[in-house]
Amino acid sequence: MVSFALHGVGVSGGIAIGRAQLVSHATLEVAHYVVPPRQIPAEVERFSTAVKEVQRELEALHLAMTSGDVPGEFGAFLDVHWMILNDPTLSDAPKKIIAEQRCNAEWALTQQMGVLVEQFDQIEDPYLRERKADVVQVGERVLKRLMGKRGATAANAEEQTILVAHDLSPADVIQFKHHHFAAFLTDLGGVTSHTAIVARSLNVPAVVATHNARQMIRDGEMLIVDGGNHVVIVNPDRAVLAEYRLKQNELEIARQKLKRLRTKPAETIDGELVELEANIELPDDLPQALENGAMGVGLFRSEFLFLNRDGLPSEEEQFEAYRKVAEGMEGKPVTIRTFDLGADKQHELLEGLTRVAPNPALGLRAVRFCLAEPKLFLTQLRAILRASHYGKVRILIPMIASLGEIDQTLAMIEHAKESLREQGAPFDPGVAIGGMIEIPAAVLSISAFVRKLDFLSIGTNDLIQYTLAVDRSDETVSHLYDPMHPAVIKLLALAIGSANRMKSPIAVCGEMAGELAMTRLLLGLGLRNFSMHPSHLLTVKQRVLQTEVKALMPVVDRMKRVDDPAKLISLLDRLNA
Amino acid sequence: MQTREIVVINPLGLHARACARIVELASRFRCRVSLVIGKRRASAESILAIMMLAATVGTTVRIETDGPDESAAMSAMVALFAGGLDVRV
Repeated sequence: MVSFALHGVGVSGGIAIGRAQLVSHATLEVAHYVVPPRQIPAEVERFSTAVKEVQRELEALHLAMTSGDVPGEFGAFLDVHWMILNDPTLSDAPKKIIAEQRCNAEWALTQQMGVLVEQFDQIEDPYLRERKADVVQVGERVLKRLMGKRGATAANAEEQTILVAHDLSPADVIQFKHHHFAAFLTDLGGVTSHTAIVARSLNVPAVVATHNARQMIRDGEMLIVDGGNHVVIVNPDRAVLAEYRLKQNELEIARQKLKRLRTKPAETIDGELVELEANIELPDDLPQALENGAMGVGLFRSEFLFLNRDGLPSEEEQFEAYRKVAEGMEGKPVTIRTFDLGADKQHELLEGLTRVAPNPALGLRAVRFCLAEPKLFLTQLRAILRASHYGKVRILIPMIASLGEIDQTLAMIEHAKESLREQGAPFDPGVAIGGMIEIPAAVLSISAFVRKLDFLSIGTNDLIQYTLAVDRSDETVSHLYDPMHPAVIKLLALAIGSANRMKSPIAVCGEMAGELAMTRLLLGLGLRNFSMHPSHLLTVKQRVLQTEVKALMPVVDRMKRVDDPAKLISLLDRLNA
Repeated sequence: MQTREIVVINPLGLHARACARIVELASRFRCRVSLVIGKRRASAESILAIMMLAATVGTTVRIETDGPDESAAMSAMVALFAGGLDVRV
């Protein structure tokens, strides 16, 4: 076995050593056989079933990614794939081929995919031509179903497995979140590819843009993936392997050191105490939050309740889920955000509501949607209140824009409490109620909001989207999405400064809270409560421990006033130096 | 039947997500919606057919609507194209 190295772009750091698992191109393995006339209806049926199964798979994946760590862009791609799957040229034409050529379903589908790909190949525009990849990805999903395979198999627990693929579709990538691959390796892709985003959120190394890794590497070969150095070593010799094991150990030791920080209070050098809390999506995320020393749950997204289901979650079901987390945190705060559902989810849930908003981000979503569906909202509020008897539960209302919405929500909560009192159901009467600051209007109205609410939490992702009017999932403008835009920094400074002056607790629970490069800036702006993905808690804590807030102030004060983006970046570098 | 000619204004042309918008919009009307470029015609029911029209920026597309709600469908389609095929799906 020859040892060789491949170079690519390391999009997620760290070292992994393991065996290659190739994601196969189903098309290459398709056999052709003749189907007896009697069995043709059954063969057509087998094809239809596979299409339906993939359809459900895509729908389940779409629901599974309700907000959370998965960028909205994935949803749009899944929609495109769903439509392609339902296109008669892909889902009906093969049936005709089965009947006419009396061939097996796999063969018929492969033929039809070939026809479609050929048509795409004739397109002159290179960008539009490449969309044939979507057709192939959808077709392969159906093929794999037909051939009784699911995308990729779960990794063997004892041996580390490294996934090697030509490219990963968004649907693949979401599924891989649940397998335990030690690293990802793809021929295509870039820093913002799906592979990169998921690898970073899973904290595993990834190297993309290797050009031909999928062809050069064979199944089961030993690989070293060094994400930090953009390199992959195939069939390493003993010396190299030993060297990398050593490096991997060093990284592991650094990680273990971090783990020792678990119980240490997050306190700056000059004695400022900082609360570090976890964002969770499922009750099952709780152990990870606790392992990483979370002082509470700063954001419990409740949309998971809509996973893999048709109807609305019942009050009992919601109550059980909320109670599990409330009890699991043993008296530490658990902040449950009420449903942040967008227009895309609504018509799946509520029959008759088929109106599609022309501009969903500005449409009927989050608290607006909940107030428009009082029954759904009341059910959730009752479930949360009932759970408050079992721990320190707080209610967080997403996307508030006006005092009127706060008043209406508070009235709903009062109504929910009243109905529980009548039934004699126990709840915490003093349950804290907070609002998400995600809209520039909310920042500018913050002092009025503070008087009505017990706490605030800034959702930086949406705040940036609404401030800059940039949809990050739209690839034509995503480069304009800039957390370091001077306007964003000014809004953050205003929000945190005003809340602190009025002695109202304020947190950041957006992606920014978990970004190491932003920790010092946020501390300097006066933030003392961060809520983030559990995997970032300890590195951020380490940064807090190494920071003296007083020393940051001169630079941060300048950053609040700077209008030149380049200057802002150089000041940020100085903070982090 | 109604027909209107309109120019594709978004820089990436009729890419996958823009096509998805067209299909999604057309599905809300009862009439038949077709897009025609030169001699090539695509039903707005089929995302692949529209993708394969490969309309780049600057291409003139003829929109045809035919059926009970053809005028409503036409104005919705024209608005979609005029808005640069707002890519949110």
